[in-house]
Amino acid sequence: MTIPENLRYTAEHEWVSDAAGTEPVRVGITDFAQDSLGDVVYVQLPEPGTQVTAGESLGEVESTKSVSEIYAPVSGEVVARNDALNATPELLNSDPYGEGWLVEIRPSDAAAVSALLDAAAYRDLTEK
Amino acid sequence: MTAPLRRSPLHDRHVALGAKLAPFGGWEMPLEYADGGVLKEHAAVREDVGVFDVSHLGKVTVRGPGAVAFLNRCLTNDLDRVTAGQAQYTLCCDEAKGGVVDDLIAYRHADHEVLLVPNAANTTEVAARLRAAAPAGIDVVNQHQEYAVLAVQGPRSARALAALDLPTGHDYMSFATATRGGAAVIVCRTGYTGEHGYELVVPNALAGEIWDQLRTAGVRPCGLGARDTLRTEMGYPLHGQDMSPTISPVEARLGWAVGWKKPEFWGRAALVAEKEAGPLRTLWGLEAVDRAIPRPGMLVLSQGFPAGQVTSGTFSPTRKVGIGLALLEHPAGSPEGTEVEVDVRGRRARMKVVKPPFVPARVRDRT
Repeated sequence: MTIPENLRYTAEHEWVSDAAGTEPVRVGITDFAQDSLGDVVYVQLPEPGTQVTAGESLGEVESTKSVSEIYAPVSGEVVARNDALNATPELLNSDPYGEGWLVEIRPSDAAAVSALLDAAAYRDLTEK
Repeated sequence: MTAPLRRSPLHDRHVALGAKLAPFGGWEMPLEYADGGVLKEHAAVREDVGVFDVSHLGKVTVRGPGAVAFLNRCLTNDLDRVTAGQAQYTLCCDEAKGGVVDDLIAYRHADHEVLLVPNAANTTEVAARLRAAAPAGIDVVNQHQEYAVLAVQGPRSARALAALDLPTGHDYMSFATATRGGAAVIVCRTGYTGEHGYELVVPNALAGEIWDQLRTAGVRPCGLGARDTLRTEMGYPLHGQDMSPTISPVEARLGWAVGWKKPEFWGRAALVAEKEAGPLRTLWGLEAVDRAIPRPGMLVLSQGFPAGQVTSGTFSPTRKVGIGLALLEHPAGSPEGTEVEVDVRGRRARMKVVKPPFVPARVRDRT
C-alpha cells in the first residue's frame, strides 16, 4: 500500500494535503481504501460552496458491490470538486493520490489539518 | 461457534493470484483477483472468456432404480422434458408452503442416476429432504467436497476448451462426458452469466491441472463479484435474495421451471392455489433513470406509496447504469414500463420497471 509521507490522514482512510493555515486542502481516499472498495463506479460529492463539518458525511463512493460514506476530515467550505470523477470514477482506483482527488476544502480552523494523522501513524493503523 | 470455512481444491492457486477471498455459503471463495477486479473480469466474460471456480456449489448424486421418477415427485420441473445427457433448471420447494428451499441444476445421466447441483449453503438441506423421502433402493449421496466445478464462460469459451481437448459445441443445457486420467469430467453447456459457456464438474484431483491448462489457454480467472454483476444483468434470480423460503416461484416468476401438469411435486397444492389466486407481488427488473444504484432491502415507491422492495442490485458494467431486481405489488396490473422511485439512503431515485434481461442473453449462440 502506498502511503505518501507528505500527506495527512484520517482513521476513515482519507488523505488531506498538508497546506499552511487556512489555505484550501485537497481531500481524497487512500490506496488502502480504494483497494478494499474495489472498482469504483459512482462518486457523489457536494457542490462548491457547501459548508462541511469534520466527521460528518461529505459524500459517497460506490463500487459494484457496496457503498462507502466519505467523511469530512476537517470543517470548512468546499471550494472545488473533481468533476472528472463523474465520467471516469476509475481514477479513484488508478490514481487515488493524484487524478482521483475528491474535493478541496478551505478549513475553518487553521490548526485542524496538522492535528490529523501523519503517514507513520496512518501506516500503523492500516497494519493493525 | 461457527464451523471453519471450506476451501476449494484451487485455494492455493487463488491465493497465489492475489485473490480477495470472502465467505460464501460456508466456503472461502475468490471475490476478485489482483490483476483483475470486477469490471475487468466482467468484461472478459462478455467479450472474451473467463473461468470461475464455483466448487462451493453442491454435488448430490441420486442413484437407484427409478431415480428420475422419484425426483420428479419432489422437484418442481418435469424431468421428463429432458433426456439422458441433458440438464434442467429446477426448484426444491417446501411441501407445506411452496417457498423455495433451493434452486438447482439436475443432470440426467440415466433413468437410475441424476446429479444435482444445489447452492452451497442449501446442499445439506436438499440432500436431507431427499434422503428422508427416498424409497428403499434409492441412494442420495452428498459429494460436496469430492468435485470441483469450473465455469468457463464467454464467447471464446468453446475455443478455450477445444485447446484442452474437451468436448464443445453441444446444445445449451446438454452435457458431454470426457475421460481425463481415467476419471470422468462432465462438460455442460450451462452457466450463470448469459454468455455461451460451460460448467465442468471435475474430480478434485484433476482440478488444478485443468485450471492451469485453462490459464495457459488465456482464460482470465474471475471471481464471485463479476459472477454477481453478470447474473444481475441477465435478471437471473439468486437464492436467498430474489427467491427464498418466503419468496415463492410464482412471485419470482419462475413458473417456467415448474411442471404444472405433474400430479405431484413438493409444494404443488400451495403453488397451484397461489397461481390461481394471482400472487400479491412479483419480481421485476429496475433500471435507474437517475444516477443511482438500487441495493437489496431498499424501499420501492409507486406514486409516493410503498410498492415493494429491492432484492438484488448493482451497477451494470455493460450498460453503465444502476440495475436491480425488486419484488413489486401491482394491484392495477403489470407494472412493466412504469416509473417508480427507490429510496436510496434518503434520496428518491427514479427507476423504470422492465422485464430482464438488461443485456441480451447469448447462451444459445454457436461459436
